[in-house]
Amino acid sequence: MGHMVSTELPPLARAESVLELADFDEVVRLYRPRIFRFLMASLADRDVAESLTQDCFFKAYNARHQFRGDSSLGTWLTRIALNLVRDHLRSRRMRFWQRTRDTALDIVDIGDWVPDGASSPEAVYLQQERVREIWQSVDKLSRQQRTVFLLRFVEELELSEIAETTGMNTSTVKSHLYRALRIVRERASGKSEGEK
Amino acid sequence: MNTRPNQSPDSSLPRTSHDDASLEPCGDFATALSDFRSAVNHVAERETSKPVPSSWLVPAQRRHRSAQRRLILAWTCAALLCIGAVPLLHQTKPVVTPPVVAHQDNPSDDTALLEQVDNAVSESVPSSLAPLVTLDSWSSTTSTNEPDTKSSPNKPEKKNVAR
Repeated sequence: MGHMVSTELPPLARAESVLELADFDEVVRLYRPRIFRFLMASLADRDVAESLTQDCFFKAYNARHQFRGDSSLGTWLTRIALNLVRDHLRSRRMRFWQRTRDTALDIVDIGDWVPDGASSPEAVYLQQERVREIWQSVDKLSRQQRTVFLLRFVEELELSEIAETTGMNTSTVKSHLYRALRIVRERASGKSEGEK
Repeated sequence: MNTRPNQSPDSSLPRTSHDDASLEPCGDFATALSDFRSAVNHVAERETSKPVPSSWLVPAQRRHRSAQRRLILAWTCAALLCIGAVPLLHQTKPVVTPPVVAHQDNPSDDTALLEQVDNAVSESVPSSLAPLVTLDSWSSTTSTNEPDTKSSPNKPEKKNVAR
């Protein structure tokens, strides 16, 4: 995103901002893939993920004076994204008559990924199938379980970082993660056995 | 561990101790999770590799403004409803039950009604009760001739004097 132009927002007042950012565009460039990835994995909807990524950075820009540097910038942005996911799911529940997942990321889309170093077409197919199963299983988790699971195994955060991001204590994070792992493993293995 | 003062642990969860080893997948499952991570990264990178347009945050700004406008509109409507409801509440009269007015008829009507009831209820004395009627009439005559001395002690003396 080196060719990214200004986001048409007034420049940061650097003297006032605790968030020591040389340029907000730089923040967008660094953290946009990570926030988008988390939102896409949480909601399984590309368009909504893109909209919420924009909202996340817009909120971050407006609240930049509140950032005191207690946590890392990535944790702070992820926390904003988490709140957006929660609000979005709540409003989607309210608008239950609307079909909001028209643009939902197709499971095949995720399965289209071709693993590196696959030895044979059969191996590629098996790996894609496993990814699909996990993707479907993650979609069935509760919101908190899914959040913890994705932060751990997609964002590769430590348990303490997940606790800091989600506002839970570490034991609660462990409980959610334990349950999420068990559910995903059971569902994934159950489907594999069923297909065999 | 970072805990916040106002943070309460999730009470719905059982207090189980999960060692970190049980939270680390192994074997095929670990490989599957690794593939899953790679697939998600792949899709995310593909989507975010596109250059960000200059007006990338403008839709967010627009959504924010429209949300604010909706909020203001909602509060205004609520306030107007409340203001409109106040006079209605004051204007509504309490439900007054009509007082029970005493029915005042003419005394002549009452008399006629009583006579009518009396005629309907009264019967002639049956023949089997006829001696009682005569006895009753006899006792009434004797009672007038022999007054009760206990009830009026002075009067019998006057009657005796008269005889």
